[in-house]
Order: sequence, then C-alpha cells, then structure tokens
Amino acid sequence: MIRVEGVHKSYAGTHAVAGVSFTIQPGEIVGFLGPNGAGKSTRLRMLSTYLEPDAGRIEIAGIDTVRDPLGARARLGYLPEHNPLFEGMRVRECLEFLARMRGLNREEREQRLGLAAEQLGLAAVLQKRVRECSKGYRQRIGLAGALLGDPAVLLLDEPTHGLDPLQVLALREFLHGISPGRAILFSSHILAEVAAISSRVLLLHQGQLLLDEPTATLEQRARAEGINLEQHIVRVIERAGGSTRLG
Amino acid sequence: MAEHKRLPFVQTAWAVCAREWNAAFDSALAWLTIALAVLALNATALNEFFLAGRLELRALFETLPMVLVVLAPALGMRLWSEDLRQRTAELWLTLPVRTGAIVLGKYLALLGLYTLVLVGTLPLVILLCQLGDPPLLAIARGYLGALALGAALLAIAGFFSTLHAEALSAFVSAAFTAFVLLALGDARVMAILDGLLPGSGLGSLLGERVALLGAYQELVYAPSFDWISTLLPVLRLLLVTLLFLWGAQRGAARNRA
Repeated sequence: MIRVEGVHKSYAGTHAVAGVSFTIQPGEIVGFLGPNGAGKSTRLRMLSTYLEPDAGRIEIAGIDTVRDPLGARARLGYLPEHNPLFEGMRVRECLEFLARMRGLNREEREQRLGLAAEQLGLAAVLQKRVRECSKGYRQRIGLAGALLGDPAVLLLDEPTHGLDPLQVLALREFLHGISPGRAILFSSHILAEVAAISSRVLLLHQGQLLLDEPTATLEQRARAEGINLEQHIVRVIERAGGSTRLG
Repeated sequence: MAEHKRLPFVQTAWAVCAREWNAAFDSALAWLTIALAVLALNATALNEFFLAGRLELRALFETLPMVLVVLAPALGMRLWSEDLRQRTAELWLTLPVRTGAIVLGKYLALLGLYTLVLVGTLPLVILLCQLGDPPLLAIARGYLGALALGAALLAIAGFFSTLHAEALSAFVSAAFTAFVLLALGDARVMAILDGLLPGSGLGSLLGERVALLGAYQELVYAPSFDWISTLLPVLRLLLVTLLFLWGAQRGAARNRA
C-alpha cells in the first residue's frame, strides 16, 4: 500500500531525508517516531505529494506519487501537522467542500459526512464555524476531512497534538477501528503514544531511519535488556551517534 | 475502499470560485474595499457632471486605472498569500484536483468582486440616460475596457500573492508592477524615456508593446466603433491575464517544491 524506496530530500544542502526505504501493508498502523527535526513531517509531506522527493520513489496504492500525484492523492487521506482548515466556513460546509473536491456526488457526500459525524462525534459542531471549534474538535474535523474519500492510505502528522488524554484514547480506538484494509502511518515524538497505537515503529533521527520493527519485538528486546521501552529507544539513538541530552 | 472519482476541471474551478466568493465576504475588508472603490469612482464621475457639465463617463474611465493600481492588489493579494500564511496551501495542494483549477476558481471569485465594483457605477449610466442621450456604445466599450484592464491587473496581483506569504508584500509588489505597466503607456513617461536614450525609441516601444494603458485607452477613447479596434486591445489584455494566471499556477505549485 505504501512503498518508499531510497527517498532523499535536501533543504539548502542539508539532508532532511537520506535514503529511506520501507513498505507498509494494508491493516498496519505504523508509527513514525523521532525527536523534533528528525524529518517526520518532511517524509509525510512527500508521501502526501505536497513535497517531491529529490531522488527515490514513493508509491501510494501502487501509484507513483511523482508521475501521477492526483491519482495518489485520490487514494490517500492526509492530516497535516498544523491541521489547516478553512476557518471561516461552517464545519458542515467545510467537510462538504472537501468531499466535493474528491469527486463525491451529493448523495455520497451526505452519506460520508453523516458517517464521519457519527464516528467522530461531530454532530454538535456541524453548524459552527471552524474557527469557533476547540482544538479537540478541530483535530476531529481534520481527521473527518482526511477520511471523506474512504482512502486506502491514511497519513496523520502529529494527530494527538493538543488532545487531552481521553481524546487520545478515543483516537487510538478509532484508528484501530478503521485500520482493517487500510495502511495508516502517523507521526509522533511521544513514545508512549506510538507504542500504544501502532503495531510497528519506524524510528527516525537526523533524516535517517534507525529502526523498523514491530512494537511487540521492541518491547521484548527492552524486557530482555532489563530496561523499559523508552530507555531502549534512547540506546538505539545513542548507538547511532545521536545525543539525547538537552543542549 | 471506495472507487476513486475525479472532479472535472471546470467543476473544480466553479466549486473553488463559490467557496472563495463566500469566504471573501466573511471579513469586512472585502466590503470596505469595494465600497471605497465604488465611492471614489462615482464621486469622480459626478464631479464631472456637475462641475464640467458634461454628459459622459470620461472622468470615470480616466480615474479607473489609478484606482485599479490600489484596488486590484487589495483584492488579488487574497488569491494565495492567505493560504500560505494559514498553511491551507498544504490542504489545497494535497487535494486530488489540478492546481490550475484551484487558481482559476480563486481568480474568478476575485473577478466577480471587481465586477461588483463596476456594477456599483451603473447608476451613473442610468442617471445619464435620465438626463439626456449619452453615447451608449462608447460607454459599453469603456466598461469592456474596464473589465479587461481589471482582469489583467487582478491576474498580476494574484501572481504576486503566490510569491509572498505576507499579504502586504504581495500588495506592494503587485501595486508597483501595476503602476509601472500603466505608467509606461503615459505620453509623458514615454517622452522622458525616449529623451533618456535619444534615437532608441525605448519609451515609445515600451509604451506600445508592454504598457497596459495603451490597450485600455484604445478601447475607451476610440472615436468610432469597429470590431478590429475593439477586439485587438481586448486580446492584448487577455493575453496578459492568461500569462499571469499561468504564472500564478506555477507560483502556487512552486510552494510544493
């Protein structure tokens, strides 16, 4: 469903992403883990077709994102890092508009919007303007917008940012509920979140992929070393020459 | 998973246009800009009626280019700068629709706003008809020129809005460019440029080939009507419009790089 092969991206001579390869199958929920500046958002932006890779190849549901970006976009749902939304629109109008941009007819729009409102608990804010909604609702609106096209691939950049613990729990359950048949990739810099939500972890540091393992394997390794998962991740980063100290 | 459909180009542009039209009136800025432009244009024309006693809209069409130097950038800076600032550019550019359709839709909404300004001056035409027998064909050509010049300057403003996240920077760049492209067609500017490089004919060349004012004036001040002299300046202004819309589309897509 998601295939990334030898992808590079540089900004002003600095490698934001250096030669990364991985594949994500339908039904997998994979967590991009890494400190700020590790290149998580750059990778997701490349997968979403917002950025083009300098080298390498990305496929979304078998479609090359550079050769056919519109085809790839039609098959993916994307929640960007800062969750940009059309602030002045009412929530219903905003979601209807996004659904229309995905080529859905009136009947399909009504059906998908009703489903999204029910699944994500948006009924109470449908008539409100987006700018009047709380952070938690805004994240849900962004997620609903990403799901309107019933995508095969879902990309979520820091989806739990700004959510309270109960909302994080609800999001986790929601993602598990929609994961069958879908490849879900989400980013976070919080290990506990990644461990709780994902079945597999991709650890990023300074543009490179340090680790690609199932969450359960990582937990077993940490237990075998007599340390917790967090300490294990820190060791992996330090072995790769990275510093985990402030300053 | 659902089958994947695509919204056709024209329908996409139309849907974007409707969204942008509604969004424009979400703030008081659009109302204020349009109201001020209508007030300025009507005041100028009424001044001509009552002080000079002439039953024509010459003063309106003479003032319009200068009003457009400010009005087009004020409206056009909305095209993309706001999306860059609010990061909604990332939302737009990850939708399964062509960037050109998004830019065209946004541009048509701007053109609609400008058309409102021109509609706001139509009471003057009604007044003229009440007072006497105005040259309606000449007035119609004037409005055609006003629409074509406005369309070109809005496209220029839209192009600059794809280059600047700060609306003020987009406004200043567009206003400066609009002023230069209009001023080059002024006889005094042409004479100065010709004088600076004697024998080169630089001022005349720029005035005839580059300036937008010439094409507008050909439409507005033509002594009589014929199709060629009406269509040629319209085509020239349309070409400028299409060129800058293409540039705006490239500029918007460039934000992805």
